[in-house]
Amino acid sequence: MSYMELKNVTYRYPLAEQDALKNINYHFEQGKLYGIIGENGGGKTTFCDLMKGLIPSFYGGDLTGEVFIKGKEIRDWESSELASSIGYIFQNPFTQISGIKETVFEEIALGLENLGVEREEIIERVTNVVKQLKIEHLIKNNPNKLSGGQRQRVAFASIIAMETDILVIDEPTSQLDPKGTSDIFEIIHLLKEQGKTILLVEHKIDLIAEYADEVLVIKQGELITSGKTSEVFSNVELLNEGVNIPQIALLSNDMKEHGKPFETFAITKSQAREQILKKGSEKICQ
Amino acid sequence: MDETFINSYRSPQLSDNWLLNVNPLNKINIYVALGLITIFFQHWQVNVAITFLFVLLAIAAGRFKNFIGPFLKLGLVIGPFFFIVRAIFWPGENLIFNYGIINITQEGIDLGIQYATIMLVVCGILVLCTVTIKAEDLTYSLEQIGVPHNVSFMILSSLQLIIDLKDKTKVIMDSQRSRGIETEGNVFVRIKAFVPVLSPLFLGAISGAEEKTIAMDARAFSSANPNTHLRFLRPAPGMEKILVLAVDLLILGLIIMGVVL
Ligand SMILES: Nc1ncnc2c1ncn2[C@@H]1O[C@H](COP(=O)(O)OP(=O)(O)O)[C@@H](O)[C@H]1O
Ligand SMILES: [Mg+2]
Repeated sequence: MSYMELKNVTYRYPLAEQDALKNINYHFEQGKLYGIIGENGGGKTTFCDLMKGLIPSFYGGDLTGEVFIKGKEIRDWESSELASSIGYIFQNPFTQISGIKETVFEEIALGLENLGVEREEIIERVTNVVKQLKIEHLIKNNPNKLSGGQRQRVAFASIIAMETDILVIDEPTSQLDPKGTSDIFEIIHLLKEQGKTILLVEHKIDLIAEYADEVLVIKQGELITSGKTSEVFSNVELLNEGVNIPQIALLSNDMKEHGKPFETFAITKSQAREQILKKGSEKICQ
Repeated sequence: MDETFINSYRSPQLSDNWLLNVNPLNKINIYVALGLITIFFQHWQVNVAITFLFVLLAIAAGRFKNFIGPFLKLGLVIGPFFFIVRAIFWPGENLIFNYGIINITQEGIDLGIQYATIMLVVCGILVLCTVTIKAEDLTYSLEQIGVPHNVSFMILSSLQLIIDLKDKTKVIMDSQRSRGIETEGNVFVRIKAFVPVLSPLFLGAISGAEEKTIAMDARAFSSANPNTHLRFLRPAPGMEKILVLAVDLLILGLIIMGVVL
C-alpha cells in the first residue's frame, strides 16, 4: 500500500466548463519531496487543494476516481483529522496570519491551542520551531505588522509547530527576495531531513532540481510527465511543453549532442562540477 | 532568546494597575451597572456625575490619555446631535421659539439635555471598555463561561478586519493623493475621494476570505478537541467578586429607592 495515492482522478470545479484535473494517477512514498511544476493555470494549486482534502469538501464540484492519504480514502477523512495530518502553506503570506494574535509567539501557538495541546508543551514546541527557523528576534512582534518575508516565515513556523507528517507547500517563495528564498529552502531541506513527506509547487526550477526526489509536470490539468527528477529534466523536449528546464540540464544535453556526454546526466551545479572535474582528470590521464 | 518573555506565558497576564487587572466581564458589569443608574433617575446632573466617574475610572486605570480623545470626539458628535433633535422638534407648552417646523420649547430643551447627557454616559461606557479591556482578554473570559471558541474567533477577526480596512484605506488614499486627487477638505471632497476606494477595498476583503478560511482550517480550527489557551488570566480574586457584588447591590438599592420614592 502506498503512502498517498491518486487513482484515475478527474476533477471539475462547480460551474466550470473544463476539468481542472484530468485522469491523474500517481503514488507518493513517505519521506520524499515531490516537486510540482508547470505553467500558470495548469492546475498545480488545484492539485494541492486536492491533496489537502479541500476537494471536494470545501470547493464542491465533481471528483471522480480515488485519493488515498495514509491508506484512507479522502472522503472518509474527517476534516479535523486531516488538519493534524497534513500541513498546508501557500503563496500569499498575508492571508495565512490569523489576525487575532498580538505576538508572533502566540500566532505560532494558535494551531496547537486548537489541537488542545497543553500549555507547557505549546511553549516547548513553539520555542523549538522559533529556533529552527531563526525567528527569535520576531517572537514579541505583532504578526499583523510584519513584512511579507517575515510573515511567510511565521506561516511556516505555525504549520511546522503542528508537526504534521505531510506538508503541502504552494509557491512559498513567490513573494520573497533571493535571501528569503534560500532561507525558506533551508527550512524545506530541514523538514525533509526530519522525514516529512513534502509536495512542493515552485517555479524556481534550479531549486526543484536540487531538492526534489521526483517531479510532476502538470499542464492543462494533465500529468504530462513525472518521475525521478534527473530523468524528467533530462528530457529537453519538455521545453516545447512550456516547462522550464534547469540551465545545467541544458548544458548536459549540449554535451551529449556534441558527442561528449557526462557520465551521468547532471541537473544541478554540484553534479555538473563533479562531472567536469572527472572529465578534467580523464584528459590528464590520457 | 527572550526567556522572560516566554516565561510570561507561564503565569496569568497581569499589569501593575489594579483596575486593569479586574476580570473583563467584571469590568463590563461595573460600567454597565453605573450606566443603568441614569435610566432610573432621569436627572441630567446624575448623568454628568456618572460621566465624570467614568473619567475618574479612566484616570485610575492609567488610561486617561487613550480615553479622553475618542470620548470627546464621540461625545461631542452624538451628544449635541441628540440635543438638537430633541430641542428643535419636541412639542411642549412653554414655547420659546417657532419658525416653520422648528419648534423650540422649554420641555424640548430639558429633554434634549437629558438625552445628550445620557449619550455621554453611553459613550463613556463604550470608550472605557475599549481602553481598559483587551479584546483577547474579553474573549478568553467569555470562553471561560462557555462561549464557543468560534465566537471568539469571529469577534477578534472582525475587530482585526476593521483595523485592516482602515490601514488599507489609508494606503489607497495616500496613493490617490500622490496622483493629485484631492482628498482633504470639506465633507463632499472627502466623500468624492472615498467612494472609488470602496470597491477595491471590499473586493480585496472578500477574495481574501476564502484563502483565510483555508489557512485557518490548516491551523486546526475545526478540530474536535477542546482547545487550550497559551495566554491566560487569573480567576477573579475573592475581593474582586465582593467588590462587584457590592457595586451591583448598591446600584440595585439606589434604583429601588429611585423607583419607590
Ligand atoms: N475556485 C475555482 N473555481 C473555478 N475554477 C478554478 C478555481 N480555482 C482555479 N480554477 C481554474 O482551474 C484551473 C487551474 O488553476 P490552478 O490550480 O490555480 O492553476 P495553477 O496553480 O497551476 O496556476 C484554471 O483554469 C483556473 O481558472
Ligand atoms: Mg497556483
